[in-house]
Amino acid sequence: MLYNRNSDFKIVTEEHKDIPAISCRDVSVSFGAVSALSDISIDLPLGVIHAVVGQNGAGKTTFARVIAGIVKPDSGSLLINGKKIVLGSVASSRSTGIELVHQSFALPPSFTVAEALEYGSGGGIGLFKKRDLNNRWRRHLEALEMDIDPRHLIQDLPIELQQAVEIARALFSNANILILDEPTAVLSPSGIAGLFKRLRRLRDTGVTIILVLHKIREIWEIADTITVLRKGKLIDGPMELGWTKPESLAPMIMGAKSLKENISRKSDENSENKVLDQKAISTLLKSKKHALEIEGVSTETTDHEVSLENMSIKVYQDEIVGIAGVEGNGQVTLLRVLAGLSDISKGKIKICGQEVTHFNLSKRRLLGLRIIPFDRNMEGLSLTSELWENWVASELAVTPLIRWINPMKIKERCKISMSEWDVAYNSPEQKASDLSGGNCQKLILSRELNDEAGMVVAAQPTRGLDIGATNFVWTTLERARSRGCGVLLISSDLDELFKISDRILVMLSGSIIRELNPPYDLEKAGRAMVGESG
Amino acid sequence: MIEFHEFLVAILRSGTPLIYAALAGVIVHRSGVWHLGLEGIMIIGACVTIIGIVLTNSFIVAILSAIIICIIVSILQWFVIEKLKANQIIVGLGITGIGIGGTAFAVESIFGSLAAISAPFGIPRVGDTFGPYSGLSILVFIMPFAVLSLWVLLLRSRFGLRLAAAGEHPFAARSVGANPSIMRLIAFCVGGLFCALAGAELAAGSLQIFAQNMVAGRGFMGFAAVIFGGGHPVGSAFAAMFFSIVSVVGIRMQIHLGNFVSHDLLLCLPYIVTVLGIWIAARAKGRTNSASQPSELRDQ
Repeated sequence: MLYNRNSDFKIVTEEHKDIPAISCRDVSVSFGAVSALSDISIDLPLGVIHAVVGQNGAGKTTFARVIAGIVKPDSGSLLINGKKIVLGSVASSRSTGIELVHQSFALPPSFTVAEALEYGSGGGIGLFKKRDLNNRWRRHLEALEMDIDPRHLIQDLPIELQQAVEIARALFSNANILILDEPTAVLSPSGIAGLFKRLRRLRDTGVTIILVLHKIREIWEIADTITVLRKGKLIDGPMELGWTKPESLAPMIMGAKSLKENISRKSDENSENKVLDQKAISTLLKSKKHALEIEGVSTETTDHEVSLENMSIKVYQDEIVGIAGVEGNGQVTLLRVLAGLSDISKGKIKICGQEVTHFNLSKRRLLGLRIIPFDRNMEGLSLTSELWENWVASELAVTPLIRWINPMKIKERCKISMSEWDVAYNSPEQKASDLSGGNCQKLILSRELNDEAGMVVAAQPTRGLDIGATNFVWTTLERARSRGCGVLLISSDLDELFKISDRILVMLSGSIIRELNPPYDLEKAGRAMVGESG
Repeated sequence: MIEFHEFLVAILRSGTPLIYAALAGVIVHRSGVWHLGLEGIMIIGACVTIIGIVLTNSFIVAILSAIIICIIVSILQWFVIEKLKANQIIVGLGITGIGIGGTAFAVESIFGSLAAISAPFGIPRVGDTFGPYSGLSILVFIMPFAVLSLWVLLLRSRFGLRLAAAGEHPFAARSVGANPSIMRLIAFCVGGLFCALAGAELAAGSLQIFAQNMVAGRGFMGFAAVIFGGGHPVGSAFAAMFFSIVSVVGIRMQIHLGNFVSHDLLLCLPYIVTVLGIWIAARAKGRTNSASQPSELRDQ
């Protein structure tokens, strides 16, 4: 099993040196009328780290799932180590040594670590004693140098460790091809470094690794080859890293049209800078107004959330204030407090000068507060509702309960708004679950950032988005700023914060511990985030 | 002392069908479905057992046919929920309706009237070696072993973990190669077996009689025990036992307090306790660990 994997592996590698680990022939997948992958033919060599890149909806996840046997392609064939396998069967993919680590981790939350590792490790009835089970998996985790107690519940583990458990599960079954779907999206910078170290070690033992990624910096850090997908088609790949440059990768990923948008974004930036210069002059003449004032806010300690302690934040009407911090330091509580969902035990909150401490969310919205929540699928949208219903929801929330509405008119307005905001959709009546992550976020932005918005709180607004959509969100926030909106950007991505924040507040254990001003220093910010001084 | 033995016998008699029903509910619950068809499948088990004994004069044939028919009805319930994608709550209640109406129809078409039918004999008794407990059926004595084996199967086996994963996180189950739909089918089949035993014990354990709607909410109490016990086989069995203690105490109180307290109020006692029990369980646990709806594989 795992413990003598290395020696087994060398032999396999020697024998099949020239045979690709995975070779796809004309694989096509469509979901209903939408084509997710069309005629993909690709050979991925053995024993290296492959990056599969592309925008949201480019078909990366589908590609990974086809190889893992979760999605059955409409046509085509798949050869693993030179042997043809049955398509659309997880069992047959796993028996050839393919394991997939999912984007959002697929572990039952109420299981213990040992149970979560055990249930997928074989068929049959498989009786066990609890102590044996824990000991067996403790040994396995120790062999992988993972410091996880097998008795812990999955739901109590931080997200890095959940991912580690998934990797441990994948490696137990003698995986020789490991696929990770967006593994870095949920990790902190140190978590990513740890993951990459682990992956390199695995590659050196002979495991072929396929990474679905979309941050170019990470690709350059880890990958040996790159494969680019766009709109379900193979653009190029696998290219060896030495043969290509980061600058030439972006156009391949985004396509010509998106690239143009990117350039226009740059010119926007220039014009905005001018506006800002004028603003700078005008602010010398008159004092600025606050869009958001949080004065000494504390919350009661609860089991679920990190409590806030004497937190004070002020956001002016034309600035973007970043909240940096490792996830789980009270960012969720802060957002809940701002949304009026959590009670505060002391302190005051003001929006555009008006005290709102005891206001509910709809009253706060009337004053211009807009929230882009952490989890767009759970809190931002109702995935089972239609697009126009999602779009109009916030507007209807502040109108009287009994009021005549005209769906036809709303749908028309929704259509106009969605095309303004560049949401790719088929009809306003389609379900929100049909949209990709980037389009979901655009739909939320189109709903929230209307003219009445005076204070925008954006929580991880670009998490899991591709380059194009990320730029779109950034531009939108900057436009909001230049229109006189205050923006509070809660993010754990320092690149993002450095790029668009006017100043950054570092949050640790429910308090603001430092303010950073440009030019930002990555090392300083990183140290501040973990509470070290200097 | 004799008083105590009588009390225990009464509890075991009324509690055993409830516990079997709760076991059926537990395995189906862990696979991700709320088993609201318990009542209906249980009454089918009761009816088939009695009709089988009357028509074939053989207990073995009767109980086997009850088990087979209950499993078939369970598969029907699974099919409608899983393959026709109907709402599981509505389907469960529908199965209950089919059970109550279908047994009445069967009795009338075979015997020509809706009167209660009595069988010449019931489930074999344990015999005189057990002293004051000699009148109990063998199913009462099998019950603790059934609880224990279900506990081992669900909580101490890889199969049980796969079943729970299918209920809690179907996508996770699918991604390790377990088919959640097949897992639920197995759960429903085992559930059908336990429902048949519950019905058989209720109708032929001590009474040897089948009357219209004789289950009288015991299936729903079994389901309540599942929730009260948090989907745990042993916990749910104890919850069912607790409900039956309350109902026996209620009957005793009728004898002693019948003149002072309303007779109807005492009869409601087990149902009131059931509702209270569910309420307490919901407060204590916050949630059960099973999906309330079989979730679907979402791509992307």
